[in-house]
Amino acid sequence: MAMINPKAIYTIAKKEFLDNIRNKWIIVLTIIFVILIIIFSYVAGAGGEEIFGNMETSVIGLLAVSAILIPLIAIILGFSTISGEAESGALYVVLSYPVRRIEVLLGKLLGLGSVIIASIFIGFGFGGVVIAVTAGGESWVGFIGFILLSMFIGWIFLSLSICVSSFCKKRITSIGGGIVLWFWGMIYGTVIIGILYGTGYTFEDILTGNVPDWFFNSVVFSPPDLHQTAVMRAFGISTIEQMGFSITLPEFLNMGILLSAHLIWFIVPLILAYYFFKRRDI
Amino acid sequence: MITKTFACPGCNTQISSQGNPGDKIRVVCPNCGKKGIAIFAVDKVDSKTSTAPSSIEVADLTKKYKDLTAVDNLSFNVRTGEIFGLLGPNGAGKTTAIKAILGLIHTNSGKIKINGFDIKEEGIEARKSVGYLPERVAFYDNLTPLQTLHFLCELRGDDKSVAKPLISEVGLEEAINRKVGTFSKGMVQLLGVAQVRIGNPPVYILDEPMAGLDARWVKTIRERIKMLNKQGATILFSSHILSEVENICDRVAIINKGKLIAEDTVANLNKYLRIKPRLEISIPGLSGRIPEVLKDLKDIEEVNAKDDKLFVTCESSVRSRVISMLEKTGLKIDNIKTIEPSLEEAFVKLISKDEGGV
Repeated sequence: MAMINPKAIYTIAKKEFLDNIRNKWIIVLTIIFVILIIIFSYVAGAGGEEIFGNMETSVIGLLAVSAILIPLIAIILGFSTISGEAESGALYVVLSYPVRRIEVLLGKLLGLGSVIIASIFIGFGFGGVVIAVTAGGESWVGFIGFILLSMFIGWIFLSLSICVSSFCKKRITSIGGGIVLWFWGMIYGTVIIGILYGTGYTFEDILTGNVPDWFFNSVVFSPPDLHQTAVMRAFGISTIEQMGFSITLPEFLNMGILLSAHLIWFIVPLILAYYFFKRRDI
Repeated sequence: MITKTFACPGCNTQISSQGNPGDKIRVVCPNCGKKGIAIFAVDKVDSKTSTAPSSIEVADLTKKYKDLTAVDNLSFNVRTGEIFGLLGPNGAGKTTAIKAILGLIHTNSGKIKINGFDIKEEGIEARKSVGYLPERVAFYDNLTPLQTLHFLCELRGDDKSVAKPLISEVGLEEAINRKVGTFSKGMVQLLGVAQVRIGNPPVYILDEPMAGLDARWVKTIRERIKMLNKQGATILFSSHILSEVENICDRVAIINKGKLIAEDTVANLNKYLRIKPRLEISIPGLSGRIPEVLKDLKDIEEVNAKDDKLFVTCESSVRSRVISMLEKTGLKIDNIKTIEPSLEEAFVKLISKDEGGV
C-alpha cells in the first residue's frame, strides 16, 4: 500500500469534528451524558445519607442505559458518513482531490470518534467529579475504566456504522443497516436466553448461574453485553447479585479476553469498511 | 494512405479501413454485415496543437454496470494547452468517462493517464494536477463557502489565503459567511467553479460547468475558461449546450452510447459531414411563400420561408445561381446573410448516422 498522508487524515478528521461543534451535536451529547450519570447517581443514592450514590453503584445502574445509548449515538454519527455524502455529491469533490480513500475513511473515523471521546469525557467526567465530591471517589479506577470502555463501545459502533455506510449505496439503506446493528445489540440477550430455554434450562437455572459455559462466553458476540461485562470487571465485580441469587462470572471472561474481543469488534468492521469503500463507484 | 480502425456499433467487431484524408469509404462489417462509411479526417488539427503532448490520455476505456455498457472501448487524448469538448446526448457516457478519468469509478478495462500519471497506479500524483467540477456539485451544508474552500485548500496542501479571492472572483463575497445549505443551485455551482482553481492545477475537468447558471454567469464562466486556457491550462469540458462547446473548444469528441463516434475540430467535423451553409435572404413581401423557381432547382438541399425571410441550404457554388434566379423573377432582395453550419447540426447528424449504421 502506498504511504498514507497523516495530514490528509487530520484535515478530514478536523472537518468532521468541527462540523459536530458547529451543529451543536457535541454539546447535546455532553449534556445527555451529564444528566444521565447525575440521575442514575441520584437514584443510586436514594435512601442513603448522601444525595448521590457512590461511583460503583451509579455506574452499574447507568450501565444498562449507556450500553444502549452510546451505540445509538455512534450509529447516528456514522451511518451516512459515506453513503450520504456519495448520494449528495460532496464525496465527488473530496475524492477528486489528492487524497486516498483510506485517508478519508480514517479521517472520518478519527473525527467522529473524537466527538464521542470528547462528549463522554466531559459528560461522564463532570458527573464523576460531582459524585466524587459529594459521595466519595473510592472506585475512581473503575470509574475511569467505565469512561474508557464507554469510549471504546462508541468507537466499535462507529466502526460498524461506517462499515454499513461504505457498503450501502444509498443513505436510506444505511439507516436500515444502522437500525439492524442497534437491534442486534438490543435483542441479543433475549435471543441467547431463548436458546437456553430451548435447550431445556429454566429461569431458576439462569438466576443461580447453573448454565453452560457458552451462555456466558457468548457475550463476545454482542458488543453491548461485552461492554457491560468489561465495566463490571473494571470495578472488580465478579459476582452478580440478582433476586437473592448470585452468579459468578467465569474466569474465561477476564479483562484481557474482553478487551481483545472489543478490539476485534472494532478492527474487523473497519477493514471491511475499507474493502467496501475502495471497491465503491462514486 | 491512412489505416483507420473502429468498432462496429452492431456487434463491436474491430473493422479496419484504408483511405486518404477527406475520403469517405463504404465499409461492411465482416461479422454482422452492417454497412456504413469510414470518414478520413482532412487537416485534422492545426499546427499549434498537433505536436503538443497529451495532458489526458484515455485508451480503450470500458465501463460496464451489470448488463449496461456505459463506456465502450473509448479512446481520446486531450492535448496540453487545448480546450477539449466532450459531447453527447443524455446517457451517452460523458460523466461516466469523466469519473473514470479521475479514478472515482472502477473500470472494466482501459488505461488513463493525467499529466503522464496513471490514474490507477499513481492516483494521488494524477489528481494533484486536476481541478474537477462535477456535474452534480455539492458541498457540506453546514459549512460556509470560506470554510469549504479552507477545507479543500488544506486537502490539496495549498495556502488558505487563496480562498477569499476565489470566492470574490465568482461573486459570492456577500454570501461568504452564509451556510452553503442555504445556497441556490446556481450559487453552489459558482462555489464549485471557485474550488477548481485551488492550487492552480494545470488540467481542468469541467462536467457541465454552465448547468444551472443564469446568462450573466454563463458568460463569466466562459470567459474564465478561455482565460485559464490562455494562461496555459488544459481543459476537458463536457456540455450539452452545443453552442458553448462550439464557442470555446479547440477540438471535440462526440460520444454516443458510450462509444466515440467523432473526434476533431469543430470546422473539420462540419467538413466531414458536408453540412452546407444556409443562406438567409430577406425579401420584402415574401410572406412565408417559397418562390416557384427554387422548387425545381437541383443542388438545393433544403428551402423554407418564414415571413419575409427565405432560408436556402446549398453548396457555396450554388449560391450565386440561387440569387440570380430570385432576381430574375423580379423579387427585391434586401439583404443576404450566410449562416455557417453549427456544431449542433454536426452533432445531430453524427448521432443519427451512428444510430442508423456504421
